[in-house]
Amino acid sequence: MTASIDNTHFLLRRLHSLFGLVPVGAFLVFHLWENSQSRFGAAHFNETVVGGLQRLNYLPFLELFVIALPLLFHAGYGLAVIGSGRAEPLRYRFLRNRWYWLQRISGVGLMLFLLLHVGMTRIAGMFEPSIRADLFGHMQQSLSQPPVLALYLIGLWLAVFHLANGLSTAAIAWGLTTSANAQRRFGWLCGAFGLLLGAIGMHGLIGFLAAAGGAA
Amino acid sequence: MIRANVELRIRRQDTPGSAPYWQVFNAPVRERDNVISVLMQLRQQPVTADGQRVDPVAFEHNCMEEVCGACAMLINGLPRPSCSALIDELDHPIVLEPLPKFPVVRDLIVDRSRMSEHLQRVKAWIRIDGAWEIHERTQRQSQQAWARNYLYSRCMSCGCCMAACPQFGPDKAFVGPAPLAQVRLMNAHPTGRYDSAERLHAIMAEGGLTDCGNAQNCVRVCPKEIPLTTAIGELGRQTTLQMLKDLFGA
Ligand code: HEM
Ligand code: SF4
Repeated sequence: MTASIDNTHFLLRRLHSLFGLVPVGAFLVFHLWENSQSRFGAAHFNETVVGGLQRLNYLPFLELFVIALPLLFHAGYGLAVIGSGRAEPLRYRFLRNRWYWLQRISGVGLMLFLLLHVGMTRIAGMFEPSIRADLFGHMQQSLSQPPVLALYLIGLWLAVFHLANGLSTAAIAWGLTTSANAQRRFGWLCGAFGLLLGAIGMHGLIGFLAAAGGAA
Repeated sequence: MIRANVELRIRRQDTPGSAPYWQVFNAPVRERDNVISVLMQLRQQPVTADGQRVDPVAFEHNCMEEVCGACAMLINGLPRPSCSALIDELDHPIVLEPLPKFPVVRDLIVDRSRMSEHLQRVKAWIRIDGAWEIHERTQRQSQQAWARNYLYSRCMSCGCCMAACPQFGPDKAFVGPAPLAQVRLMNAHPTGRYDSAERLHAIMAEGGLTDCGNAQNCVRVCPKEIPLTTAIGELGRQTTLQMLKDLFGA
């Protein structure tokens, strides 16, 4: 009798699901929470929020092992998962089927967004010390260009949808919710969570534009 | 009593490998006809709407009361058994296509042997004969458990759930919803549960439970209203526990 751990298929797929929740999903919540403090202005944001993070112990390892590698694994395996299915959102117009399709669309969209987003902030900051020193000013400048703001709004809602819907499907995959009623109730709860998280994210984006700028 | 003619658009295919093509028929319908009874009528006068005499349309049916599963096809774009598809309740013209995801044998007949292969792959049976004689009868189960399990025993292997599943297809490994639901049923059986770890291991391999993407079309199209997504959630829980047993010891 071959056990499930002799065959990596099940473990890899569950790892993909787990990584989507923690650390990647948990990081998204933390990230949007941190950014919602943009409304306190440049000084607070640059010193307390960004400065606090930049002074974290073992920061490069945390960034690599808690964020980058789990996300890369999730995204890479996610692309393989996308290739293993064929959505028919127009033939089967059921809500969950549309979410199935959107989960995949949002995954691909997120990958493109994250490449741009990480490139424009974290990677650009490695070459440009002034960006690291005044991340608030950098974000304010970027977001005041309408195309960039639109890009961020789309990226935000893709990520929030993907996490909220992923939470509801992960609950089925792991066996937390079994009955149709439990799955429906938890689905609504995830929807409410998504709306709240999206609102926090929007608040963060608006904060960069509304709050007093300038590092000095 | 012939009441009217109804327009049927049928996707036809002469042999397994050949190219499909469409034909339109104006078929006579009687009161309370269903798709199969109309196809039977049509078989006697296989003449297309533009008057051409053609080979009769090949289709499959057996019980005519939605318990055998043989007559499933795509009706107006959705998979369902054609014996319970009443003409009066369908939009016209009626579009008939073979059940997708399964190889076409001819016209509306498909080969569903993959269904039985997958039922075998997940060990959807109950072992009652061992190397020794088992004198005991099956243990009794509670009325509540019986009522829950009965839902899954109604599966007629029609394949509608498989046809609607975005993760199932000829080029895909996924076993599909119906075999998974049978694992749920067999694992709950008083005798069948002795082999539940083996069944779980079978669905924890390639093409198993984790290939489900939770689109939940299966439960929407199943004509027997089998709670397929509940089975999938319950198997999610059983496989989570099985994984912990495999990792840390039972
Ligand atoms: C902000 C970043 C991301 C977060 C928070 C996240 C989170 C999640 C979560 C929680 C799930 C649910 C897992 C399950 O149903 O078991 C999921 C599923 C999925 N993710 Fe992501 N994800 C992210 C980025 C990506 C990216 C970049 C891709 C790349 C294509 C991707 C592709 C997928 C796919 C295809 C699924 C569906 C898996 C399935 O149905 O089995 N995700 N994600
Ligand atoms: S579960 Fe329902 S749709 Fe699927 S094969 Fe059985 S009866 Fe048909």
